[in-house]
Amino acid sequence: MAPLTIASRALARGVARPTCSLNAARALSTSAQLQDAGYSSPFKGESKTTKIPDFSHYFNKGGSANTNLLFSYFMVGTMGAITAAGAKSTVQEFLKNMSASADVLAMAKVEVDLQAIPEGKNVIIKWRGKPVFIRHRTQEEIDRANKVNVASLRDPQADEDRVQKPEWLVMLGVCTHLGCVPIGEAGDYGGWFCPCHGSHYDISGRIMKGPAPLNLEIPAYDFPEEDKLIIG
Amino acid sequence: MASPLYNALFRRNFQMLGVVFVSAFAFEMTYDVGMNKVWDNINKGRQWKDIRQKYAEAEE
Repeated sequence: MAPLTIASRALARGVARPTCSLNAARALSTSAQLQDAGYSSPFKGESKTTKIPDFSHYFNKGGSANTNLLFSYFMVGTMGAITAAGAKSTVQEFLKNMSASADVLAMAKVEVDLQAIPEGKNVIIKWRGKPVFIRHRTQEEIDRANKVNVASLRDPQADEDRVQKPEWLVMLGVCTHLGCVPIGEAGDYGGWFCPCHGSHYDISGRIMKGPAPLNLEIPAYDFPEEDKLIIG
Repeated sequence: MASPLYNALFRRNFQMLGVVFVSAFAFEMTYDVGMNKVWDNINKGRQWKDIRQKYAEAEE
């Protein structure tokens, strides 16, 4: 097959060479056609359908090359802007979809008026389905919590690490042993006592005696202003 | 050569990018506001903010 193609190619080249001058003449006439309204083909006896129409009506008459640039870039830019807005909106709505809904957020925080809690009293409130102990401690209780030897504890934690304001102790009312709710102002250490398996917590909520392994948990809380507590 | 508007908006690539992003921001804001208005118009009298004054007095 290969010799045949080589032969035919050589033949075609040989035929093409004499028409070279004719091609140059055609190229010349095409470039000249831009100025001339009419175009006369060098081929005789051509059919009507191969006649090149006159495009001079559509030529740019202003002379500058980029009169349409503003419009073209405006369309491109508008498309880009709408796409960017759509992409941003898509991502944003997708992420919003994953965040907590309004009813969850409403339940996630609890506000407590601390003025209603007298000194030396416990208050139990419900927060995210769990009880939260708030104790307004007296100065004597704070001193007692600070007097405890931290190194001797099962879960060593100083009292000032467990409170933001010493007179307000806020902690989750869930025993760290098996999740019972301890009883306030009870037990051997004057703090909390879990009736299920007998864990004793001191006045700072630290485990002193019994099976519980850890101190009572401290939730995230904040005092946005005096006499106001927000848990969550 | 080109119009001053072209020179102001699209001359350089970063210029055009800036124009596109700023106009995307503006477009999004106006679109959101407009669509919220359409929604409120369609659901007129059915939303909580429309019927609130009927119940707000009873609470206080």
